[in-house]
Amino acid sequence: MSADELRFPTEDDLNDPHAHEIRERLQASYAAQPVHDAAHMARVSRAVLASAMHTPVSGPRGVRPRWWWGAAAAALLMVVVMRPWRPEAAQQQADSAMARTAPLVEMSGKTSEERGGTVRFEFTLPSSAREVALVGDFNAWDSDATPMQRDASGTTWSARIPLEPGRHEYAFVVDGQRWVIDPLAPQVPDAGFGPTNAVVIDGEAQP
Amino acid sequence: MSLSSALLLVAQLATATVPAGTDTILAANGRGQPTPLAITRREQVVFDASRFDSLTANALRSLFEDAAAMGLPVRPLINRALEGSARRIPSDRIVRVVREHAIALQEAKRALGDRSTEDELEAGAIAVRAGLDDDALEAVRASRAKSPVVVPLVVLTDLVRRGVPAGNARDAVATLARNPRSDDVLLGLQVTVAKNAQRGPGMALDALNRYIRSVGASPAPAAPATSDRKPVRPPES
Repeated sequence: MSADELRFPTEDDLNDPHAHEIRERLQASYAAQPVHDAAHMARVSRAVLASAMHTPVSGPRGVRPRWWWGAAAAALLMVVVMRPWRPEAAQQQADSAMARTAPLVEMSGKTSEERGGTVRFEFTLPSSAREVALVGDFNAWDSDATPMQRDASGTTWSARIPLEPGRHEYAFVVDGQRWVIDPLAPQVPDAGFGPTNAVVIDGEAQP
Repeated sequence: MSLSSALLLVAQLATATVPAGTDTILAANGRGQPTPLAITRREQVVFDASRFDSLTANALRSLFEDAAAMGLPVRPLINRALEGSARRIPSDRIVRVVREHAIALQEAKRALGDRSTEDELEAGAIAVRAGLDDDALEAVRASRAKSPVVVPLVVLTDLVRRGVPAGNARDAVATLARNPRSDDVLLGLQVTVAKNAQRGPGMALDALNRYIRSVGASPAPAAPATSDRKPVRPPES
């Protein structure tokens, strides 16, 4: 049957004896269902409402959680960790935590004057490198002029070069491409090329 | 094409055909000698022009000659140009940086005095580029009237670069530099601040103040971590 053939029942249809019989049978089947009492219906209604509104439930001993319990726990945690009556201890704890999280090998460098006007440059890299070169104003920034030697650890590179007393700028070239500097040595700000380090050689310290 | 444009083109072509190679520049000699004396003792400093194209080399030569005429050391400018070439920086940027460095050298010479050495002027120019003003350079010079101020200027530049407010850094360095044998103390300050600056903002100034107290020098005038904070109560006159 298509939708065009649907129609509302007419008066003749309602007076049909078969329709009357069907209606009486349906009413009889409803009457056969058990009827619940009012108390049962009330319990069902409360249970449905409680689950819908998240009504707090009493604990095993009848103790109910309070909102300020969380705030008190947070305040107690802050007092235990920060220890405002001993700020130096808290600082040491923070330092040691930072030291624990720091990598085992950090990028670092060192310059030391040796006898005869020679200066030793050391540079430690956290990652492996194929070659490291020392560049500076003493070798016209030529990355082929002063290659550094790797020590037994495989991470520390060094070079010795004679330097005249005075101020010198330098940097390290890793694998012929990456220019890096010693993070703790005096730094020369970037003027357009990138930062470098500075070292001052004391002329009076040399023989 | 107008006559002036044609002449300009001819001039450019003429300069472009200048063979580029290693030439010599008259420059100051002797890092420990005052600049005017050094310039009278001119020595040939090699400028490897083959690292640059001919137009850039000519522009750099012109800058070097102007700097020498003004009594400025040329060696720092040559080093700056060679560094840019080694880093494969574009030519126009190299020329711009060298020109700006010459201006910084001029400012440093004005603040530190005509008798300053080449290393002092170079350290002063770096300090100017780091944002320090003439007052800071003059304060350092005043703290060491007769001794070199290279180390104080290097340390001062590094302190400012690591986040110490310029006023605090200037006062601390000037205080320590009064002793002409205090270079090791100043370098110790630099290392201490460098290590602590890695721990977070404000730690550099805190380390500086602690170091000043530990060496027994008069502490630098206390200043809040934020330099723009005003005192609650003005000092009584």
